[in-house]
Formats: sequence, C-alpha cells, structure tokens
Amino acid sequence: MILEWRGYYFDGRTAARHPVRVQIAATGLKLTLEDGATHFWPYEEMRQSQGFHTGEQVRFERGADPSEALLVTELDFLNTLHRMVPGLGRRFHRPERRLMRRSLTGFAALGVLAVGALMYFWGIPAAAKVVAARVPVSWEESLGRNIVDQFATGEMRCTDPEVGRMIADMTARLTAATPSPYTFRVAVVRAPVVNAFAVPGGNVVVFQGLIEQTRRPEELAGVLAHEFQHIIQKHTTRMLLQKTTTGLMLSAMTGDLSGAVAFGASAAHTLGTLRYNRAMEEEADVEGIKMLAAAGLDPAAMIDFFETLKKKSGAEPEYLAYLSSHPSTEQRIATLKSLAARSKPNAAAFSRYNWSELKKKCRAAERKR
Amino acid sequence: MTNSSGSTALAEDFTASADETRRLYFRGAPGTLLGIQLVNMLLVLCTLGIYLFWAKVKVRRYVLGETEFEGDRFAYHGTGRELLIGSLKAGLIFGVPITLLQNLPVALNASAWIKVLCFVLGYSIVVLFIPFAIVGTRRYRLSRSSWRGIRFSFRGRALAFFRLYLRGAVLRVLMLGLYSPFWAVEKYAFLTANTYFGNRKFDFDGRGRDLFRSFLLLVLLVLPTLGIYGFWYQAKKLRYLTEHTSFDGARFTCTATGGGLCRLQLVNLLMVIATLGLALPWATVRSLRYWYDNIALQGPLDLSAIEQDYQAASATAEGLAGFLDLDFSLGA
Repeated sequence: MILEWRGYYFDGRTAARHPVRVQIAATGLKLTLEDGATHFWPYEEMRQSQGFHTGEQVRFERGADPSEALLVTELDFLNTLHRMVPGLGRRFHRPERRLMRRSLTGFAALGVLAVGALMYFWGIPAAAKVVAARVPVSWEESLGRNIVDQFATGEMRCTDPEVGRMIADMTARLTAATPSPYTFRVAVVRAPVVNAFAVPGGNVVVFQGLIEQTRRPEELAGVLAHEFQHIIQKHTTRMLLQKTTTGLMLSAMTGDLSGAVAFGASAAHTLGTLRYNRAMEEEADVEGIKMLAAAGLDPAAMIDFFETLKKKSGAEPEYLAYLSSHPSTEQRIATLKSLAARSKPNAAAFSRYNWSELKKKCRAAERKR
Repeated sequence: MTNSSGSTALAEDFTASADETRRLYFRGAPGTLLGIQLVNMLLVLCTLGIYLFWAKVKVRRYVLGETEFEGDRFAYHGTGRELLIGSLKAGLIFGVPITLLQNLPVALNASAWIKVLCFVLGYSIVVLFIPFAIVGTRRYRLSRSSWRGIRFSFRGRALAFFRLYLRGAVLRVLMLGLYSPFWAVEKYAFLTANTYFGNRKFDFDGRGRDLFRSFLLLVLLVLPTLGIYGFWYQAKKLRYLTEHTSFDGARFTCTATGGGLCRLQLVNLLMVIATLGLALPWATVRSLRYWYDNIALQGPLDLSAIEQDYQAASATAEGLAGFLDLDFSLGA
C-alpha cells in the first residue's frame, strides 16, 4: 500500500504551484513541501470541492475564503483514505460508489419522467383549480383586457352599431337571469374564421365567420352562453395558470428562467386554440343550457349549431376551428338534448332582428387593390 | 506564431518562455453533464423549483472544474444558499415594486394617465436596473471563480458603467442604431479592463471605430444573406474584442471564423431539436470546445508571481439578472 502520495499545494496567497508529499494520518493529512516545511490538515477542517466525476482531479480546500487548496491527481488516494480512516464516508467522495451512482442517474431520468408526468397531468391542474378559485375578479379583468387588445385591434374589431346593440341585448338577456361577478363584453372580430373563445374576466371574442354560420340568433346566444360559462366557472383562468405553470416547470427543469416569461406570453397568444378538458366542456355545456333556459331562450339552438358545424366540417376543413375545441360527439349532443327538453323557450325573443342581414354586417371590408 | 518582443527585460524566473502559447482545455464529458442535469431536474421538480439555485451551482462547478489552463483546473466557489438569498433580496428590492407598479393602478382602477405613468415608470426601472445587474453579476461570478487558488475579481464601479450604458443606449437611438459597435466596444472595454486575476489586471485597447465598417457591411448584407452574414460579423467582433484583450503582458489571440460559428450554432440547434433537448449537454460542450480551441494567450507571463487580492461580492445582482431575463457568460 502506498503511504505517500504526490500532489500540489496552493497556499491561497500566490498562484505558485507547490509540489507536496501527502501522508494519511489518523486525524488528518500531513503535507510536506519541497523546502521541508510541513502542514497538518485535520479532516474536520477539510472539504472536498472537486473529484466527484471521472476525469476530475481530487481537490480539498481548507479555511475561510479564499482558502488553501490541495490537489491529488491519483483517484486511488480517496479509496485508500476511506480504507485507512473509517468514518470519513460523509465528508469525502467514495469513488467505488460511482457505478451505483450511474444507475441512480438512470433512475433519476425515469423519476424526471414520472414526476413530470404526475405534475403535468395531476399536480398542476389541481393547483390551478385551487388558485383560480381564489384569483380576484379584478385581476382576471385586467389580464383579459390585455389579451383582447392583442386579438381585436382597431380595424379588426367590428364596430357596427346594429351588431353592437344585438350583442348587448343578447348578453343582457343571458346574464339577467344568471347573476355572476363578471361584466361580460363580447368583441366581434372581422375575420372569416369559424371560432369563438373566452378570455378571463368576462371577455369573449367571436369571429365573424362563426356568426355567419348561425341560422338564427338563438344559435349565437347558445355559443355565448357556453363561452360565458367557461368564464364563470373560471376554466379560462385555470387553463392559463396551467399553461404558464407548465412553462415554468419546463424552463426550471432545463435551468433557465428566461424562457418562462416568454412561455407565459405565448400562452396568452394561444388562447384561441386553448383546449379545455372534457370535464370543463361538459360543465360549460350543462351550465350554458341552464343559462339559456333561465333566460327563456331555446337551448335546442345550441345543439342545432353544433350539428350544422359537424355536418359542414366533413367537407370543408375551415369549420373545424371551433369544432376541434368543441367535439360534437353523439354523446355530447344526446346530453344536451336531454337537458334542453325541459325548458320552455320564448320563441319571439329575438324576432325583431333580420338575422340573414345582420349576420353579414361584420364581414371584412373589401380589400382595395 | 512566435512573439518574443519585450520579454528579455523581465528575465527573472519564468516558468514559461516568452513565446509560449497557452490555451484552455475542456476535460469534461457531455454524458456526465447530462447525468448531473438529469439529477438536477428531478430535484428541481421535487422541490418545486427551490433546488434550481443548487442545480446551477452544480453545473457551474463541473464546467469550471473541467476547464484546464497550464495543467490546473479552475474552480467555482459559489453556493446555492448564496444564490437563493440573492434572488430573494432581488425580489424584495426589485420584483415587489415592479409588480406593484404594474398591477396596483389596474386593481385600484386608477385614471388612464396614472396607469400610463406607472407603466412608463415600471419600464424605466427595468431598463435602469440592467446595467447594475450586468456589473453585479460579473462581480459576483468572478469573485467565486479561481485558478490555482487565486480568485478573479471585478473592480469597476457600478455607477460608472451605468453612465456609460445609458449614454450608449441614448446615442444608439439618436443615431438610428449606428452607434451599436461603439457601444458594444465601450461596454466590453469597461467590463474587461476592470477584471483582475489576483492582483493582476486584464486590459483592453480596442476602439469602436475599428468595428464600424464591418458593422455597416452587416447592415447592408444581413437582409440579402437572410441573416447568415450575422455569423461573420459575430466572428469579426469576437476576434477584434479578444485580440485587443491582454493580461499582464500577454495578449489573447482568436481564430474564430464566421463559417466556424455558423456551423457550430446550426449543428447545435439541429442536435437539440432532433433530440428534444436531450443533446443540450453535447451542444454546451461543443460550444465550450470551439471557444477554447480558438482563443489562446500569447506572450510572457509569470504566473507564480501572481498574488491573491480577494474581493468580496454578493449574489443579489445575480438574482436581479434572473428577474431581468439576462444571461451572461464569463467567456469574454
């Protein structure tokens, strides 16, 4: 067994590299410099700062910053040290455990997947639900306003007074019978997209393309009721929280926080394609039908609209935008129908509107070429 | 590659001859780095992000510990605790006021002009803090880095950098961006010429106007070449800045090329995308190796005569940089 090891000593005062002989004693290391000077390093004053990985030198430090340092180039030094002085296992690295560490690293990789999936599918949604329930309405409103401003900017927004009055009438009817802490505002966007989405705090964005696909006003009212319910049930806030938190989790895992902010911003942008989970859609359906019934509007219109979309989407993919986030399964339509059967609608609610004219009002202005 | 001028006057006991070229080497393995990062990820997840600070330290420790110069490794002495405390402090000093400024007017339903005022104020605070974060982070990181037990340090005054930074930012706007190369050189010069290793100083003798023509070329060519010319400007700037940097009588050389940087970054990007991020450690190591392969220190250098001159520094600015989305490398 080698009892004397070669190394280098740095005194922490100059960058000179002093060759040193190292001897292992019961309570510490004895260092002998070339000029014969000796140092004694008690184990309890030493800490290991390098030499945990293949190819790294073994480095010990001692004392307060800036400390003295001792380098031993041979890895076997650590093994010998542990053999000769038992009880140092905690203080210094054990090279023989590296193989075990490698398999532990493999387990860590599996652990990352498992814990990541657990948080993604369960932890974050659960936390978002708890948090969303406690987010003040005023916060949701200010957040929502920023998002709507990004989507429906100036010229994109339809400002036709007749459409405005009709939307206000519809909103007032729907909300009068179902009180909520929100003030609802509907922005109509001049774009031929068949889509509509809710934004936290009471804003709903409806695209002209969707309005044009409705055959009677009650169908639009059905879409609005559904989207209002996403807001009242805080689904949008929950999804936004989930998406931002997931982004934070991903960037925390990869070690930089800068991506998180960008991710949060992009979450706001992708709100139009935000997917609620099935439970949320069902809740918005059920509550939306209740809302329609309470307002004396025909819930069957909502079902008709989804069926129209479903039929048309087979041939033309542009109808898919709204459908993709609102899959019209047979089961869903059946549930809606059973819910709607119990209501007694007021058929004349929107009879004063000339729907076939009104629904075209917000078409995008002809492009001048 | 020889440069023996001016070495005879200081003929004491050099360990290296005057024309010796000294280089950095990276001795680490990307696989080990991946292992470290996997374990980090798990711990970050399980601690809901708190471990992030310790995770950063582990990576820095490995990367510096595997970087070799003249047969000896660098060492990183920062701790996760320090980073956590720095981040908390920065959150108190910076995060809380900014968050309040941004949200209070809306929550209180203040009038429109108060909202605008608060927004402008919040934004200005963010911009004004950037130079302090840059200097503070450099001060902290250098104070925690050592080679042969001797610490690096940064001794520039934050206020001086703040003035330089603000002046450059304003001039750049006024000159429609044409001040950019001057500003870049001014910033680099300040950050470099105030950097010390022990009691010895780094120096910089470049001038912004030397980069101006290349910058004009960049402005002309960046669109026609779909941005690819950016790599050549980047390489030119890197070479210029590095070659005008010296340390205690020895001068840095740089052989980075536009083609080299282009290949390095494109391959890194493809690698990372194709492996869904798993190849990130390989990309990191490739970048390090490219950088280390292409710079060298040439000239007389009496390393063993360098003495310790330790400067304390706090991690608050590093925490601040985290809030500001800034990332710095100590390469330059």
